[in-house]
Amino acid sequence: MHHTSTAERILRGFLLTLVLLFFLFPIFWIFLMSFQTNEDILRIPPSLFFTPTLENYIALISGRLSTVAGDLDIAFMRNLWNSVLLSSLSVGVALILGVPAAYAFARFKFRLGENIAFTLLSFRFAPPLLVLLPLSLYFSELGLSDTYLGLVWVYQLIALPLILWIVRGYFEDISPDIENAYRIDGHSWATTFRKIAIPLARPGIAAASLLAFIFCWNNFVFALVLASADKQPVTVGALAFVTASGIQYGQVAAAIVLSVTPTLMLALYAQRYLVEGLSLGAVKG
Amino acid sequence: MAKQAPEQPARAPAAVALHLDAVDKFYGDPANPAVHAVKNFSMEVGQGEIVALLGSSGCGKTSTLRMIAGFETVSRGEINLAGRQIDSLPPARRNVAMAFEGYSLYPPLTVRDNIAFALKAAKLEQSEVKRKVDHISALLEIEPILDKYPSSLSGGQQQRASLARALIRKADLYLLDEPMSQLEPQLRSVLRGRIKSYLIEQGLTSVFVTHDQTEANALADRIAVMEDGVLQQIASPAELKDRPANLFVATFIGEPPMNVFPAKLSVNGGHLSIAVEGAGSASGFSVELGEIACPPGSALQDGASVHLGVRPHSVALGKGDTRGLVVSNQWLGDQTHVVIETAGQAMVAVSYGRVEDALGAEIAFSIPPRAVHLFAEDDGRALLHGREVVG
Amino acid sequence: MTALELNGISKSFKNDEVLSGLSLSAEQGETVVIFGPSGTGKTVLLRLISGIYDPDDGDIRLSGSSVIGIAPERRGVGMAFQNFALYPHMEAAENIASPLQARGGTSAQIAEKVRDIASLLKIDHVLSHRPKELSNGQKQRTALARALVAGPKILLLDDPLRNVDAKLRFEMRLELPRLLREFQSTTLYVTQDYKEAMALGDRIAVLLDGGFAQVATPEDIYRDPVNLEVAKLFGDPTINLIPGRIVAANGGTHADLAGSTIDLGAGYAHAAGREIYAGIRPEAISISQTASEGALPVELIAVTPLNERVVMLLHLADGTEFFASAPEEGAAGSREHGPAFASIDPAALLIFARDSGQRIQPQTSNRQTV
Repeated sequence: MHHTSTAERILRGFLLTLVLLFFLFPIFWIFLMSFQTNEDILRIPPSLFFTPTLENYIALISGRLSTVAGDLDIAFMRNLWNSVLLSSLSVGVALILGVPAAYAFARFKFRLGENIAFTLLSFRFAPPLLVLLPLSLYFSELGLSDTYLGLVWVYQLIALPLILWIVRGYFEDISPDIENAYRIDGHSWATTFRKIAIPLARPGIAAASLLAFIFCWNNFVFALVLASADKQPVTVGALAFVTASGIQYGQVAAAIVLSVTPTLMLALYAQRYLVEGLSLGAVKG
Repeated sequence: MAKQAPEQPARAPAAVALHLDAVDKFYGDPANPAVHAVKNFSMEVGQGEIVALLGSSGCGKTSTLRMIAGFETVSRGEINLAGRQIDSLPPARRNVAMAFEGYSLYPPLTVRDNIAFALKAAKLEQSEVKRKVDHISALLEIEPILDKYPSSLSGGQQQRASLARALIRKADLYLLDEPMSQLEPQLRSVLRGRIKSYLIEQGLTSVFVTHDQTEANALADRIAVMEDGVLQQIASPAELKDRPANLFVATFIGEPPMNVFPAKLSVNGGHLSIAVEGAGSASGFSVELGEIACPPGSALQDGASVHLGVRPHSVALGKGDTRGLVVSNQWLGDQTHVVIETAGQAMVAVSYGRVEDALGAEIAFSIPPRAVHLFAEDDGRALLHGREVVG
Repeated sequence: MTALELNGISKSFKNDEVLSGLSLSAEQGETVVIFGPSGTGKTVLLRLISGIYDPDDGDIRLSGSSVIGIAPERRGVGMAFQNFALYPHMEAAENIASPLQARGGTSAQIAEKVRDIASLLKIDHVLSHRPKELSNGQKQRTALARALVAGPKILLLDDPLRNVDAKLRFEMRLELPRLLREFQSTTLYVTQDYKEAMALGDRIAVLLDGGFAQVATPEDIYRDPVNLEVAKLFGDPTINLIPGRIVAANGGTHADLAGSTIDLGAGYAHAAGREIYAGIRPEAISISQTASEGALPVELIAVTPLNERVVMLLHLADGTEFFASAPEEGAAGSREHGPAFASIDPAALLIFARDSGQRIQPQTSNRQTV
């Protein structure tokens, strides 16, 4: 029953390959495209053999896009920087606000606590466009439109509920007795939070931060409506590749590769925190 | 059970019902197994016999039970039940009833329907089903919860219901996984007696797994002691206690556990005595076994190093010329546990009366030659049991 | 001075009153075992003392001063939890050092104290291990070391042996009294195991229905329980309770028990006619094949070994079930199934009122010399 026959093993390998192909092929293809000229890409039938070119990357980094219709200025690197800035600031603010809040929701049962937590989550339910219209009016009133501050604020709609709800679950999984024991040892509430709760919830905090970062990074509409050219992230900036003379597939591909890289590296770095088990064997192995 | 004479097995073994023949269990790659959970395990269980698989966690007892039930494959060897080879059959076709340790009741059914499930499936007449359910419910004290649903029951109640469900079926073999682990302490000894009577009355062949030797002793005709995947000894409770096959069984069986001292033998004209050396300021003691045949080539030689084992209940307190310090004296109502420091180590003694000696007092004790067990220093195999050689 | 004083403590969760008006005091260095079945609020009581919970009503005084409203970290108690509650991200040594760090001191001093207590508890070889690398026995000892290391005045042990196996539990039960004496702490020890309670307690406080049913020495609790509930909690097998009534006859009294009679002597004249339970501990019953004066005719149904003793299941004439126990070796009397006679040590007979469950004490008459 638990024996794996050779046929079974071969079948399993085959299926795994199939799944991998299905998921990895687009990424692989985009990677190849980023080293091709638009002509190579649009050639029919497509070919795996081409002369690789760094033209796309050079164009992105130098900020000059040459098309048939003439040269065009693009601010891709600036956009990339905006993405990094906006996403990390947003996650940072969400952590500062969300982790203590998550702890409070996990540990203390207070009046309307559940309702407040749910309201925060419900921000995610509303269609962003519905929120954005009135928001852009308020923002121009307050002078917040087209500022980093304003954008980071709006990005809390994405990051804060994520952090709050994920980290809350991790705090709830820590036995309160571990914290009680630390306090009885003679440590204050604040020390206990810092030395016990935070380290034990670290895998959760890492996971939530990574997710929040990716969601912020991938956000499109908020920045589209609320940010002008010099504040907009890559997602919005990519629109520039749709030019009068057609879509610049090569540059789009190179832009994708460049903009995926930071999140990918972050994910690889955070992985070790993610796989680290939450329960480190506090009670039983 | 006719007579409870400690010297002989409680019930005479009948025809073999279950036979495990050189069974092995590997996990992982068969060529290079990551875990060898059960090693060359052979055992015969007689028709109507109750056998306990006893050991600490990870000793392979549960894997063995699950192989018999069919939830684990047998890596090597053979299992026969009621004359059929069953090790390659799916669980449902082995005709085995099993009570699980965990909560395995069907949640959407009431306790009554859970218990009657197998009987109804077997198309038994309704009045017969009711009679059987009533009988087993009275036995296991589950009448008040018959119409409740599993989710509203305590762990002990769930376990009793799950036992009832297994025992009410007709099967060639009854497998019980930790059948009493969750039971309420106050009910435990009552139910042990009743379950045993029921199994005997109905002539049910059963194998159960437990880590609790009290439970094994109370229920089983024979106990298979396992450690590290190896069957150490299979024997009646009395036999395990009086003639343990090795030091592991000796110290594993018995509560409180057997006292073990490093000792030296001296043989003087066929007269065997055992000396336990003192350590530092603590003096040692010795036990005279008298005239013992010590054939040449046996491990019982002059000057040989051995382990001396003495059960706490056998230490005679208040008499003898050996003295030790009382370091703990705990009265438990019907017995007293005294810890005596002697020969540089702590020795536990049990007395059925109250022992008045205060902590720090000197107390006299002696070790009756009949209570002596000797084990080889190297592999721990039993060399001699005092009761066999001393009148 | 009284080291610990509980005065009229009440605590409810939602509408469920767990403790109601409970009082207790413990002397310096004393070990009081809080004993009772699960769900009676033993753990809640320890948590009230340590400051994890606040009582709804009543006062808690440690060394004479009230600690109501004082945060747990400022009460100076040590506590070991049933589930150990070790800090999973710290090594055993850091776990043990935690109370010392909170109190200040150089790291050399702290390290020395940690080493001392670790060697006392025989865990010095695993000090650099994380909790997940420790066996259950080592976890339990680490938790105990952490509770003891700062030498707290009050030590709260919440069923610390619950999660370790029988052998370790036994070892620790023998070892604990010496350890506790060494630290001079006033100890409240929670357990559900009557053997632990009797072995470790200077006094046992039996917690039932939100209050202490009886607080007394192990000897008094076992031999002289105030009611049926308390009596039932001690002994393995537990006390036999045989329904019957007290009948006055021939200037004395006897108990009519399920078709049999036991002579009670003169002491129970005041209770004549009352419906009772006769409580008889299994070890106070001896079984023999031959009839003797006052022995009850019984039927021996089953004999099961229980550790080094045997437990005999018996039926009275009308089928009432009860148990007798005897040492296995050299036990006098019959082990054969079938008719037998049970003689009961009259001194060990406990009479309880059937309706209230309260003990009915014999009244010693003045003429008798005791």
